[in-house]
Amino acid sequence: MAAEQLRYRPTVRTATPWALGVLLVAAALALQTQLYTGQARTVTAIFMYVALALSWNLIGGYTGYASFGQVVFFGIGGYFTAVAMTHLGWSFWVALVASGLFAACYGALVGIPLLRLRGHYFAIATLGMAEGTREIVTNLPELTGGGGGITLPTVGAAATTPYLGNDGFYVLFLALAAIALLVTGVISRSKFGFALRAIHQDEDAAAAIGINTTRTKVVTFALSGFLAGMVGSAYAFQQVTIYPERLFDVEITVLMVVMVVIGGSGTVIGPVIGAVALQFVSEWLRQNYTDIHTLLLGGIIILAVILLPQGLANYVREARRTGEYSLLANVRRYRL
Amino acid sequence: MTGFLQAVAYGLLQGGLLALVAVGFSLVWGVMNVVNLSHGAFVVLGAYVGLLVNQRLGLDPFLGMFVAAVALFALGYVVQRFVINLVVNGPIFITLLLTFGLELLLTQGMNIAFTANYQGIQTTYAGTSFAVAGVQIPVGRLLAFVLSVVVTVALVAVMNRTRVGMSIMATGMDRGAARLMGIRARHVYALTFGIAAGLAGMAGTMIGMVGTFNPASAGGFTLLSFVIAVLGGLGNMYGALAGGMLIGLVQALGGYFLSGTWVNALAFLVLILVLMFRPSGLVGKAFYSARLEV
Repeated sequence: MAAEQLRYRPTVRTATPWALGVLLVAAALALQTQLYTGQARTVTAIFMYVALALSWNLIGGYTGYASFGQVVFFGIGGYFTAVAMTHLGWSFWVALVASGLFAACYGALVGIPLLRLRGHYFAIATLGMAEGTREIVTNLPELTGGGGGITLPTVGAAATTPYLGNDGFYVLFLALAAIALLVTGVISRSKFGFALRAIHQDEDAAAAIGINTTRTKVVTFALSGFLAGMVGSAYAFQQVTIYPERLFDVEITVLMVVMVVIGGSGTVIGPVIGAVALQFVSEWLRQNYTDIHTLLLGGIIILAVILLPQGLANYVREARRTGEYSLLANVRRYRL
Repeated sequence: MTGFLQAVAYGLLQGGLLALVAVGFSLVWGVMNVVNLSHGAFVVLGAYVGLLVNQRLGLDPFLGMFVAAVALFALGYVVQRFVINLVVNGPIFITLLLTFGLELLLTQGMNIAFTANYQGIQTTYAGTSFAVAGVQIPVGRLLAFVLSVVVTVALVAVMNRTRVGMSIMATGMDRGAARLMGIRARHVYALTFGIAAGLAGMAGTMIGMVGTFNPASAGGFTLLSFVIAVLGGLGNMYGALAGGMLIGLVQALGGYFLSGTWVNALAFLVLILVLMFRPSGLVGKAFYSARLEV
């Protein structure tokens, strides 16, 4: 009993992150009233990437399994929603949750063989899995519309759920980002979260202290699939017409990874910082340097990886502990 | 039956070329444990160099490919020496991201310099073909195939018989021990990457001669290189040759028997099956597995 009481005694120190999280969401809601339509769309996209980056962070950041096929959950969630709403006449809200569950099941199914691989092999096997899944979706035209895309019923008698509009999607993606933040926050402090960190540091040692590493990894992969699947579902509804090339775009995976690495992998707030910063910079470049914005983005990624390889959140944490603020110390860490 | 034989012939010829695309990728991965996502961009850049010297100087692609090889060797050396070496000891997604950033830079740079239009290097002979027992053999592809095999064999000879090659192999096996023997690891890494980029440039010029390309082709070459490198075993150059042929065959036969774009999924299916059942590759053992982390 005593241990239980100790564990649940809230202090200012443990309550602050939760309060900050609530404040963040409240601030985002307040921001909505201050934005033009175009700006609101940009911010909605930021929320989407926050949720996606947090989903990648669970498997890639905490567990250390660099999934380069994370977009598969996004795509599968989107296509499950499209098929359920078009062919089965489901309501969007049912399809949203069902898409998450479907993506989670898919994650568990492919995770069981793939999570036996480590390092680069896992990265590329997941990449191949995502590309292969895209081809399967492309080659089932009766179900998915194939390469020509599929259009969700949003108007007329076929519409199962009225279209949400800009304001509705702003709140929906904010809610998804908040859920992902909450899930990450809870996991980060739980025994499960420490099991993930243990697997990241030394999988054999983790197994030796009694962690069922296979089950833990598969559950985490499925959970990150659940989050990304719901985001994909919402994205499909927002876009109305979806295509395999877009829903399974490798670039979305890479963006998730970049955001997590820049922000700080294996932290709760890192992916949020990374997603907001990168989306903001990317959008700014797109507007001011339309022709070369991807080129500049590549340069920024290279610089960020060299100067802040551990990510902003980890850099600040370590710098405060050791008093070493020099970015050159970061460069020294991983260079040959 | 002739259709089947034609597909086999085409697959083998294409496979030899793919092997040359992948052999540098495999070398870099095997020696430095770096998965170079910008490899495909180097291939395409090589194709553009070959195209430029062909258009401006009228150089035949079989001469132009040496220009491409030298130019890309220099670029690759500089990139590894001054950029990738800075993060080479980091966790895997650090090097993956860095090379991805490089890929964005290169492909977008090429987009701006050469536009996104498909282009090809025109020759008088590449399009002609002759028949063997009813099977058409295109001359350009045959020459590219022979060249790929010769270059791969030459690369193995360089790696196993010269001081430079042996210092590369030694660094790949145990960097710490190699440094203690007086090998300059930074220089050797840069050399390795330069060689890989140079070979990619050669392969790119060949690809530009037998087909068309644009900057967006880069990603596809990187993925294929990956599949072939894993199939062949990391750093195993003959393995890359075998893996390339296998993938060429699988794709050609897939195109012959399957409809639609299912053929695109085949390479990945092969990849995942190999990863699950023979992660050290089809041919022998990957020598990287013997390496110690230093």
